[in-house]
Amino acid sequence: MISIRGLSHRVLRIPKLAIGEGYTSFIGPNGGGKTTLLRLCAGIELPERGDVTVNGGSPRSCEIGYVGEFPDRTLVFERVKDEIASPLRFRHCPCSVMEEQVEQVAAQLGIGELLQRRTRELSGGERVLVALAAALIVSPEILVLDEFDSHVDMETYEGALRGIADFEVPHVLHATHHMEIACQADMVIFMDEGRARYAGSPSEVFAALEGSCYQPFGWGVRA
Amino acid sequence: MRVVLEDVLLGRGGFYLRANGVFEEGVHLVSGRIGSGKSTLALTVAGVFPVREGRISREGVTTSLLTLQFPEHQVTTPTIGGEIASWGVEPVRVLGRVGPALDGARDPLTLSRGELKRLQLFSALAKRPDLLLMDEPFSSLDCRSRRELFSELGGRRGLVTIIFSHNTGPLPRIDRLWEIDGGTLVHLGSPPAAIRAWKAPPPYLKGLVARGIIPDNISMEDAEEAMWRI
Repeated sequence: MISIRGLSHRVLRIPKLAIGEGYTSFIGPNGGGKTTLLRLCAGIELPERGDVTVNGGSPRSCEIGYVGEFPDRTLVFERVKDEIASPLRFRHCPCSVMEEQVEQVAAQLGIGELLQRRTRELSGGERVLVALAAALIVSPEILVLDEFDSHVDMETYEGALRGIADFEVPHVLHATHHMEIACQADMVIFMDEGRARYAGSPSEVFAALEGSCYQPFGWGVRA
Repeated sequence: MRVVLEDVLLGRGGFYLRANGVFEEGVHLVSGRIGSGKSTLALTVAGVFPVREGRISREGVTTSLLTLQFPEHQVTTPTIGGEIASWGVEPVRVLGRVGPALDGARDPLTLSRGELKRLQLFSALAKRPDLLLMDEPFSSLDCRSRRELFSELGGRRGLVTIIFSHNTGPLPRIDRLWEIDGGTLVHLGSPPAAIRAWKAPPPYLKGLVARGIIPDNISMEDAEEAMWRI
């Protein structure tokens, strides 16, 4: 459980919000505070006022996998296999274990053929898959996907989702502009002007957003 | 005006793509999966990469612009105002479109990805180039921004606009549909007929097409209208 209390941080003003385990989608206008909230949940930033805790502790004491909205900015190594191995290398994991895990995670995400490629030569979508592999290799308790689906086609996204399921990550936090994807989550949070305006099940949140453009295709007909 | 690709072979590293066809005035969508060569094609038509074989000719095209998939790669100045001016357009007017609440003196790299994308796209559109190439223009845009952008594209009559997209989300109305499939650029024609031949339509069209319902065009509004025929 991720708990937010009395939060005041940059644009964010969230008095109280609880995010249960499972898949949570963050939706809402550009500049509404989605990324800032994700950064706090990942412990990349600390709140100016208030608390963000994961099972009562600091997010910084958790294993976090973070796929940012600018996947290029986190690329450090020249070769894909080194990039995916980087979280293990930084913690001095033995080479043999590292190689085995890199091959395993690449196979689970279906990107085995990218391992020998150079990161700079990858397409935008391939880069984000490499960033996802590097995030999953540490078996995170929280996996943050900031607009991951903006970079990939639907078939690739669904394949990645199946790969993520293998890792049994307790919390997947996904900011997205695709309502067809958001509506499949366990919980949806609509962020606007730094506030968590609506939070709940997809049917609750999309009912509250009726009449806006934040609706999955054909939602009204389906419901 | 038009852009003509004659027996073009393009690519880098071990990757090659064959392309033939004529991009007439209007809005074109080039669809394809990740790694299929959309960006390489966009960069080659823009003249950034040379063709390996064949010829690309621009007939009657005097100005052109390319908006990159990663807007952060296109940032060249330390301020939002300067960044808009770098596209050769009037900063105050365009900033009003990008985000009236934004401070023109702010560093563009502190914007969210969606905000930066708005800055890039509205600046390029304000310049009104004869040929506008847009690599994944709609990714990271919220639904309101997408609608604004779609209506701007409608205002580019008589000009050539080519959109390159893996199309996970909503798309604008278009005049011509193209698909990159198995290393070849294929012209599917105009909607609605082209939609039938489209191998990877966006999720909101997929279900309709599977039931044999073909909307007039590829936008979500067209799909919604078609849904009432069920």
